[in-house]
Amino acid sequence: MATASSSQNTDWQDRYYHIDQVLDKPGPRTDPAFLAGDGVKDFLRNQAKILVIGAGGLGCEILANLALTGFKDIHVIDMDTIDISNLNRQFLFRTKDVGKPKATVAAEFIMKRVPGVKVTPYFGKIQDKDDDYYMQFNLVICGLDSVEARRWMNATLVNLVDPENPESLKPLIDGGTEGFKGQARVILPTITSCYECSLDMLNKPTAFPICTIANTPRLPEHCIEWASVLEWPRVHGDKKLDTDDPEHISWLYNVASARAKEFNIEGVTWSSTQGVVKNIIPAIASTNAIISAACCNEAFKIATSSAAYLNNYFMLIGTDGVYSYTFEHTKRDDCPVCGGDSLELSISSEFTVEQLIDLLVEKQDIQIKKPSLSTPTSQIYLQAPPQLEASTRPNLAKKVSELVPPEGEVTVTASTLPFSLSLRITYT
Amino acid sequence: MKQAMSESQDIEIATTAIVTDGQPDSKTRRYDRQLRLWAASGQSALENARILVISGSATSTSILKNLVLPGIGHFTILDPANVTPADAGNNFFLEGPDSIGKSRAGEAVRLLGELNDSVEGVADTSSLEDILAKNPDYLLGFTVVIACNLENEVLEKLATLLWEEEAGPALVVVRSAGFLAEFFIQFHEHAVIESHSEIAPSLRIDKPFPALLEYATSLDLAGMDPTDHSHIPYVVILVRALEDWKKSHGGLPPQTYAEKKSFKQGIQSMKLKYDEENFDEAESQAYRCWTDTSVPSDISKLFQDPALSSLTPTSAPFYHLVDALRRFTQEPPHTLPLTSALPDMKASTESYIHLQTLYKTRAEEEKKRFTELLDVPLDDALVDTFVRNAHGLKLLKGKKWGALDRDPGDLLKALATTPKELAIHLSLSALASISAKHEPAITVEALTAEAQALLPPGTELPDEFDDAVGEIARAPTADLPNTAALLGGLVAQEVIKVITKQYVPIESYCTVDLVETWTGVVKFA
Ligand SMILES: [Zn+2]
Repeated sequence: MATASSSQNTDWQDRYYHIDQVLDKPGPRTDPAFLAGDGVKDFLRNQAKILVIGAGGLGCEILANLALTGFKDIHVIDMDTIDISNLNRQFLFRTKDVGKPKATVAAEFIMKRVPGVKVTPYFGKIQDKDDDYYMQFNLVICGLDSVEARRWMNATLVNLVDPENPESLKPLIDGGTEGFKGQARVILPTITSCYECSLDMLNKPTAFPICTIANTPRLPEHCIEWASVLEWPRVHGDKKLDTDDPEHISWLYNVASARAKEFNIEGVTWSSTQGVVKNIIPAIASTNAIISAACCNEAFKIATSSAAYLNNYFMLIGTDGVYSYTFEHTKRDDCPVCGGDSLELSISSEFTVEQLIDLLVEKQDIQIKKPSLSTPTSQIYLQAPPQLEASTRPNLAKKVSELVPPEGEVTVTASTLPFSLSLRITYT
Repeated sequence: MKQAMSESQDIEIATTAIVTDGQPDSKTRRYDRQLRLWAASGQSALENARILVISGSATSTSILKNLVLPGIGHFTILDPANVTPADAGNNFFLEGPDSIGKSRAGEAVRLLGELNDSVEGVADTSSLEDILAKNPDYLLGFTVVIACNLENEVLEKLATLLWEEEAGPALVVVRSAGFLAEFFIQFHEHAVIESHSEIAPSLRIDKPFPALLEYATSLDLAGMDPTDHSHIPYVVILVRALEDWKKSHGGLPPQTYAEKKSFKQGIQSMKLKYDEENFDEAESQAYRCWTDTSVPSDISKLFQDPALSSLTPTSAPFYHLVDALRRFTQEPPHTLPLTSALPDMKASTESYIHLQTLYKTRAEEEKKRFTELLDVPLDDALVDTFVRNAHGLKLLKGKKWGALDRDPGDLLKALATTPKELAIHLSLSALASISAKHEPAITVEALTAEAQALLPPGTELPDEFDDAVGEIARAPTADLPNTAALLGGLVAQEVIKVITKQYVPIESYCTVDLVETWTGVVKFA
């Protein structure tokens, strides 16, 4: 097969000495459909187009690995700029880059270091792009720290699948880390378990009841939450708290310290204040390297068929030895994104609409903020626009059973999610 | 790149800023996300560490990248080779064709150095064979030595040299081919005080200390203000309920299922109002009343260590601490020292802080007693760390590299318990033996014969061996970028644990299969 001109210009003899060993020959577990040799190399190096979401801790590693394995048309999206605290792991950035967009700096670095690789950066949000944009890629790798962005990306790729068009199925490879722990997984939208299917595996975010914060603080965290949730708006009014502004953190730290002193609580520090208000997750280069390598290896195997790919979840815990667990996470039939069934929800017939909303916000397998509810025939409660919110607000105090018949369907939507959730309500 | 030692002083001062007040300086901000894992003490250990990496391959630089970024003090790359076109294609710390023909160590050190100004890097183009022959002491000046895909003969010499020096550097042996890899850490022993165990220390509800018991029994539950009643911490409720129970049950805690159920009902009946959540919490935590607080078996095993019977004032502080702990647990109530770490619970600020103060005071008293039992004076901060983490102590006993392959008994045990992990180890060991012979082709047959020769006669290779050996024969000299990157992460992680003496490193071969994407540990104990 002919080699495209871009490769001829930059590929030196033996450039792919290492990679070619697995592309020129199958292994014992390689699918018989694998066609070793020039065809697969041409696809990888001249045709495959891959999208990387995130140019942070995982993204920097992912970009470097993809470039070295021979992907030459790489796109990357990231909405963040570089902060000094990124430099302990985001190895494409230097002190002089602080403040610049991650996507742009990372793309330039990769193109300079690995000749012949084109990295196209987009400094912005994944939500800015439409289906046509996502349709152009063969594969998507996510290296994000935000649950919300992942849910959006996952739902978008599931919705993109058109059974008539095999090209519309874009494998999604997702990685995540926290300290010495991490996971990598392969999602074949609509075919295997999706991100939404496994939402209940996430750790529940720590939330402190407002009454504890206001009345019975016991931990340093309670004092910090008091400073940020109650005191900041009381003192500063509409001025928004910027958790990236050291002056703002210092203010919170001083207020939290004073409260802690008043209640004889020890342990409020500048660092713990910043950790609580920014919800900082510890992050190190080594864990990011492991998870990113696992993700890129799956991308390489999927793009080349040179070896079977992960089915479908790899979990790593590195605190006590090296412990990992590879398993198949199963698809949920009542997954609001990829399943067909509505979610059964059994509530008391005395339940009010407001209580139902609280329940939905609390539920680990749903995790929805500010849900709006409707039935096929009427609106129960809408969070926006303001006129509709006002007109549906009286329903909050009503019993759900007055508005929805037994076995009735309720559609739940939220502005942060690109899909709606269908509930079937039964009463006890 | 600046001098490592003076920099580490600065950082130690800088990182202590995290526990005092004011905004952190730029160094602390840079390392913030890792200081939350290993604190200033771990950081300072990293900054005093000196790492030697043998060869400047893709795997080597991937490991180093993850050690330079968090700020190790010094690294040396030992590599006499010049960059080949193949190197320039798979190593991110070379500049493509521009680096071809230049010193591989020199190029890699230059580009790795850009990651962190405070790390000192040295390129050494000598050969390891020369150093072993002429200046072996040079190798003992490092904290950790990492050897990637080193040939058997010279590796054996290196391993023996480092093993013979009791307090010499740990040796990490890394091997990979294509989608398969393994690594092993050679050390004599490795003591961990701060294991960051996820198991919380006992609150000793079953064995309450006097001040806690007195407080719990002195409360006038019936005559108490209802608001106060709904804010009694569950610890206090349980201590009180257990004490009352024991009075009517011959001094014993609930034993049978029926008794436990009845005890829980008793807690519910203590409520003044149905919505007192603190009593619900007490019910859900009631198991603590019949969970015996004693010395965990892992810890009492440490007391049997031969090192304790031959203690001298110059023995490692860890052993003096363990010996003091042994004596401490011989005294009533035969538990580990109390820690003041109290979980959050439904309570008023006052009642919670009061309870916390009781725990803190008692913990201080027990620490004082512990200190009296120490044979040698030790730094108070060390004693404090030890006492707070006593429930998670670890003492790993290492083996010499290669010992497994020479021990038929261990190999048979590994074959029985972890066959697929052993399959990878055997095929990589076979590859190393064949490579040493410099034969033109590496075939499945030759690899299988080598692996078979490692096992006792008549032993069958594990079922998984064919898959492993087939991958090795497919790509015997491939240092794949993804495999290198994954090993880079795993090995750096273990090296960080070895250096900081925090968290727990592996004790055997860690094997990696990137076809099915799993990691495992060869077990033969
Ligand atoms: Zn799903």
